[in-house]
Amino acid sequence: MNRGLLRLLTGGYGRQGLWLAPLIVTLLLAGFLTVRTPDFLRTENLLNVVAQVLPIMITAIGQTFVVIAGGLDLSVGSLISFTTAVLAMDGPGYILIPAAFAFAVLVGLTNGLVVTRFNVHPIIATLAMQYILLGAVRLLRPVAGGTLPDIVLESVNGAPFGIPMALIWAVVAIATAWKLLYGTRFGLHLFAIGGGTASGNEQAARNFGVSDKRTMVLAYVISSCFAALAGVYLAGRISSGDPNVGLGFELDAITAVAIGGTQLSGGIGSLPGTVIGALVLALLSNGMNLTNISPFIQTAIKGAILMAVVGLQSRKKMGL
Amino acid sequence: MPNLVELSHISKSFGGSLAVDHVSLELFGGSVHALMGENGAGKSTLMKVLAGVYQPDEGEIFKNGHKVSFANPREALEFGISTVFQEMTLLPNLTIAENMYLGREPLTAFGSIDYRKMNSDTQAALSELGLSLPPQTLVSGLSIAERQFVEIAHGVKADASIFVLDEPTAALNAADVEVLNKHIRRLRDAGKAIVYISHRMEEIFNICDTVTVLKDGKLVGTRPLSEMTPSSLVAMMVGRELRDLFPSRGQGTNGLLLDVKHFKIGASTKPFSLQVHGGEIVGLAGLEGQGQQKFLRSLIGQFQPFSGTVAIKGKALPLPVNPAWGVRRLRSMGVAFVPEDRKEEGLFLGLPIAHNIAIGLHSARSELAIAKNYRQLIADSIKSLNVRTTGPQAHAGSLSGGNQQKVLLGRYLAEGVDILLVEEPTRGVDVGAKSEIYKLLRDFAAKGGAVIVLSRETVELIGLCDRILVVHGNTVVSEMAGASAAEQDILNAALNAEAVVEQE
Repeated sequence: MNRGLLRLLTGGYGRQGLWLAPLIVTLLLAGFLTVRTPDFLRTENLLNVVAQVLPIMITAIGQTFVVIAGGLDLSVGSLISFTTAVLAMDGPGYILIPAAFAFAVLVGLTNGLVVTRFNVHPIIATLAMQYILLGAVRLLRPVAGGTLPDIVLESVNGAPFGIPMALIWAVVAIATAWKLLYGTRFGLHLFAIGGGTASGNEQAARNFGVSDKRTMVLAYVISSCFAALAGVYLAGRISSGDPNVGLGFELDAITAVAIGGTQLSGGIGSLPGTVIGALVLALLSNGMNLTNISPFIQTAIKGAILMAVVGLQSRKKMGL
Repeated sequence: MPNLVELSHISKSFGGSLAVDHVSLELFGGSVHALMGENGAGKSTLMKVLAGVYQPDEGEIFKNGHKVSFANPREALEFGISTVFQEMTLLPNLTIAENMYLGREPLTAFGSIDYRKMNSDTQAALSELGLSLPPQTLVSGLSIAERQFVEIAHGVKADASIFVLDEPTAALNAADVEVLNKHIRRLRDAGKAIVYISHRMEEIFNICDTVTVLKDGKLVGTRPLSEMTPSSLVAMMVGRELRDLFPSRGQGTNGLLLDVKHFKIGASTKPFSLQVHGGEIVGLAGLEGQGQQKFLRSLIGQFQPFSGTVAIKGKALPLPVNPAWGVRRLRSMGVAFVPEDRKEEGLFLGLPIAHNIAIGLHSARSELAIAKNYRQLIADSIKSLNVRTTGPQAHAGSLSGGNQQKVLLGRYLAEGVDILLVEEPTRGVDVGAKSEIYKLLRDFAAKGGAVIVLSRETVELIGLCDRILVVHGNTVVSEMAGASAAEQDILNAALNAEAVVEQE
């Protein structure tokens, strides 16, 4: 293959990482499913895909912020479960929803402070938080149940002007994240911190006057808030609080981020990549459901896709 | 003339050891001020205080007579102090423009970063320095020289009046050094004050007008360079003369250890031959990139020469050498290769000194052999190398450049080889350590070993080597005895290679 084309496909240009390759995978998957299964292109199925992908996509978008800055957030899965449990506490929506987000901010702050102030490795810090929250949610709601505020159910399952809510959620989440990542100093500083870490000079961003610790804490807060958002959406979908609904979400989110070309070492990555990564996951499981492939094989195929797509990346260390 | 910046009685200590001890320094506009001293003398620490990286324990900084202090380099830059450090400080995954504006990005009316203004202003700053790089280029795509020019442009852009260059030429080739000097002169002529840290004498005398010497964290003195000579400057730095830097030469040679014949680096280059005997040190001189390094690296297989025969202690080394096992192959024949870049190619900076020394011995044994600890040998090495350290368990990365270089050399000396191929034995190493390294090499030769040294520093080759081979255009163009060689002769030979009859 032409070298320039290869570089373009594998993200050799720029710091957006590889997102063209997963985009092509997405289009191929969609094309394949259109040809193979008559059901794929039907509106109900497509809406189903969006509804399926949305919680993973929202969580993964939050995760992207942390990963670009060189961190990792494993606590999001439990936080999603916890958020559904809080919302199902049988109270008024105007108290429970702010309470859920306030709690998410607290979790993000704790993650960020433990990582930046106590110098705990992000994997350990957020893994600990994952366990803490898992214990807390099982205490709060040992089994699924409870009733949700009406506003949550409506905002998830309604369809104002015939537009399904899932689409509106997706647009709002992506637009918010876009503004934060590409339209603010904060976003550029995330790339700066991650780039410094990836090239072995963690001081670099600070030497430019970037307040790196505060920026990092904010990234964890954003990740938590997006996880809480995903939690609100999931609660509305299943109409209950469930201590297990978020299990494994952190790994799916990281999978989506990685397929989207964001480098786990930090400094390289993109929002479109993450959205595409989440779509790849959703199309895979939807397509395999439509073609009646065993769910066990599905998981294995997910792993194989992750390996193949990420393996394409030119894993050059920036700047070295 | 009033000074631009005054550092007054600055002290800074790290964990009990005083790195800078009441040093005062005045900088004037339109002047290039050399800051010299052995590694660990406190030059970099002093400059990091000036740049806002460190806060001084004692002392004050005055800018135009007003007392100032900075919490970080960004604040120092706002006060007009721009620093190009030894280590790369630019972020590789950001564009040139983003690096220039990081931490104080201009915003549009909507609160987004104003990329249009950033890029056009950066373009203007770059072209002011005569650079034609697009501002949207990622820094990871730039050469080391270009990155340094970008850092200088960063200072120009911020309208800095003081530029600190900490060993800017350590990684540059001759052509880039010339471009850098041009920029420095331009800044000087614009009335800026420049601090220039380097270990290379020629550069200091070439570009600087004043010199301040530090030793063990204390100020030795500040002099106009017109009053100094290289040897008086070295004397000031170490308290002894330049000729004392080098050990006395070898006392004759014994058997032929390395015999290279009809060696052609490329298809159309002139063949050359060279012989190295036990007991002698042979230097390879020449301009940058003329094939000296290609020759050495073809012996370990990192470069594939066109043709030639190489015999080591009478045994033929078949060419080309497979890079996968080139170094091990040479090792088994009693040859060690000491690479140029001790940080990247030589040492394991995150591992203890003990491992760094013993790793050569370990690698000579079977992969699954139970590792000996070599404790006594390591202790002896550290002692005979005179490595200044807290102990064999200290990380190699915690040592000064000179001590790192000694550890690297010690690894190969511990292996008990007969031939040493050394690239740049003293790059970025202070004068005191240089002298010790020269002595180590000379001792090795005196015990019957053969040494080939490749160096950019002509003075070093003249002082150290028994014979000097001048390389030009991928072939040896001239040979002279170290004792009688003069810098000018070597330079002439390297420049007028075509006029010299080929040795054969």
